[in-house]
Amino acid sequence: MTQLVLGQVLNGAIVGSMYGIIALGITLTFGITGIVNFALGEFMMIGAYATFALAERGGLPYPVAVVPAACIAAAAGYLCNKAFFRFTRGNLVNGLLVSIGLISVFESAVLWYWSATPIEMHYVLPGAIRLGDVTLPKMKLLVFAVIVVVIVLTYVGLARTWLGRASFAYAQNAEAATLMGVHTERLVTAVMLYSTGLAGLGGALYASLYSLEPALGGVYVLKGMEAAILGGIGSLMGSLWGGVILGVIEAVGSIFLPTAFRDAYGLVVLVAILLFRPSGLFGDET
Amino acid sequence: MIARAIFWGALALLPLMVKTDFVLTIFIYAFIFGILGVTFDLVFGFTGQLSMFHPAVFGVSAYMTHLLVVNAKLPFWLATLPAAATAVVLSIVVGGICFKFRLKTFYFAVVTLAFSEMARLIVMNWNSVTNGTLGLVVSGKPTIWWPGAGVVAIKGPVAWYYLTLVWLAATVFVCARVLRSWMGRAFGAIRLNEDLARTLGINVFRYKLVSFALGSALASFAGGLYGYYTGYIDPGYLGINQSMEVLAMVLLGGQGTLTGPIVGSLVLTGLPHVIDLRAEARAILYGAILIFTILVMPRGIVGTLRAWRARRAA
Repeated sequence: MTQLVLGQVLNGAIVGSMYGIIALGITLTFGITGIVNFALGEFMMIGAYATFALAERGGLPYPVAVVPAACIAAAAGYLCNKAFFRFTRGNLVNGLLVSIGLISVFESAVLWYWSATPIEMHYVLPGAIRLGDVTLPKMKLLVFAVIVVVIVLTYVGLARTWLGRASFAYAQNAEAATLMGVHTERLVTAVMLYSTGLAGLGGALYASLYSLEPALGGVYVLKGMEAAILGGIGSLMGSLWGGVILGVIEAVGSIFLPTAFRDAYGLVVLVAILLFRPSGLFGDET
Repeated sequence: MIARAIFWGALALLPLMVKTDFVLTIFIYAFIFGILGVTFDLVFGFTGQLSMFHPAVFGVSAYMTHLLVVNAKLPFWLATLPAAATAVVLSIVVGGICFKFRLKTFYFAVVTLAFSEMARLIVMNWNSVTNGTLGLVVSGKPTIWWPGAGVVAIKGPVAWYYLTLVWLAATVFVCARVLRSWMGRAFGAIRLNEDLARTLGINVFRYKLVSFALGSALASFAGGLYGYYTGYIDPGYLGINQSMEVLAMVLLGGQGTLTGPIVGSLVLTGLPHVIDLRAEARAILYGAILIFTILVMPRGIVGTLRAWRARRAA
């Protein structure tokens, strides 16, 4: 029993890190630009399908395909920002609605081209590591490690550099930040590029582990949103913790309780936490 | 006033002129979604709360109505009442939790969406009652006492057209009465500035809850009707897509108006039939319309027309 629980905790943490990378994008865009990008999951889906197209159809080796795939997602994010999100700044609900519209557009477009049949990539990195009685596929560990490194680097990057200070300044008071010499337009574009690129990277990593279907974006953005709220909107490390906690709750919950309600366990915990700590586990008290 | 009379009059007289079932069917669907749209607008457009709980109410009441008719042998009309009561209880619980803890905008949307998803999971997995993902076949039809004919079943497009039209009109009437009362003023005040409303002595919690529960109660009838009209219920009724479609209808027609959601529902229900599209293309179109409306015409069709008329009159 202990092994089963331990195995599920590890598995949950790995899936949770995927939620975390989406949550990081959500926290960044919302915390800095004030736009709720509900369509981030779709950029993850774009990244995943792009990886599939590049690696399986284009014949690129997987590690080489990951980078252009993330770039494709970021490019799509750039276009969406230029065409739509730019006009919704300062109106939270409009941004939310535009991104809901984008979900429908992207998902159906991929559904049209690739159909709803799940597709799978070939094993990228076969083999597994045994830890006592728990077996963990190497690829899962690698994905987990990459995501943790990316999130920690983002945190360090924003906490230690001028860019990070400029972002926080912009989030606190956009006008004052402009007066202090922050190129706000460029900053917002950079945040959009980075968050959608991150989502694309998450998708590229996802493609190496699980089968792809057009609806994956919708599922992951919900989880990412939950993780971001759980960790506390605006907290970068909180998004990683939020994601991991969510993943572990789901995985462990489905051992003891019916698996069919897997998605509900995270939601119950989320609602409970929102009621007692509206700012999330790692968010500011204000 | 005149425009409104023409609008309803034209709808009432339509079956006399148009005899094709095809057109009437589109209108029937549009009316049922219109009920859903108007009640959603009561919560979203008039009270300013972006609720994602509407599909749960719609789906749960569709199941409730059907199950009560089949298992408790209630007539359709009577069965809609416990369904509505359930919708009210559910929304008081969900709304109570959300409003008590002052969840706003994005948080409110996510938490109501979470509750909606929980409802969908329960419906989908409660196989003994709901038959899971396979759904239920609804075979009966509601009956009505008609002078000269006695109790007859409502079937055929013309009968359903009038049934749904009357129901839609009743829903709009109730909403209009509420919005013109002191409650409507309170809703408006909350939408415009919640903190200010509180300082004016408006019980923000109570009126948000009233708006949410009333919207759900009226929306529940749409669920019952839809199940009986299509003859089939499945957990997809509670899905996020449903939320998205209703939202698109309300935004396109004009949020914060009562005729807007009906116009939006007519356009979006009719459009895919007028230009023949495959399902994916239709979803792309829905999304594109949603984005276009928000960016270019944030007040929707009815709102834009009203602004245009007001400008011309001035």
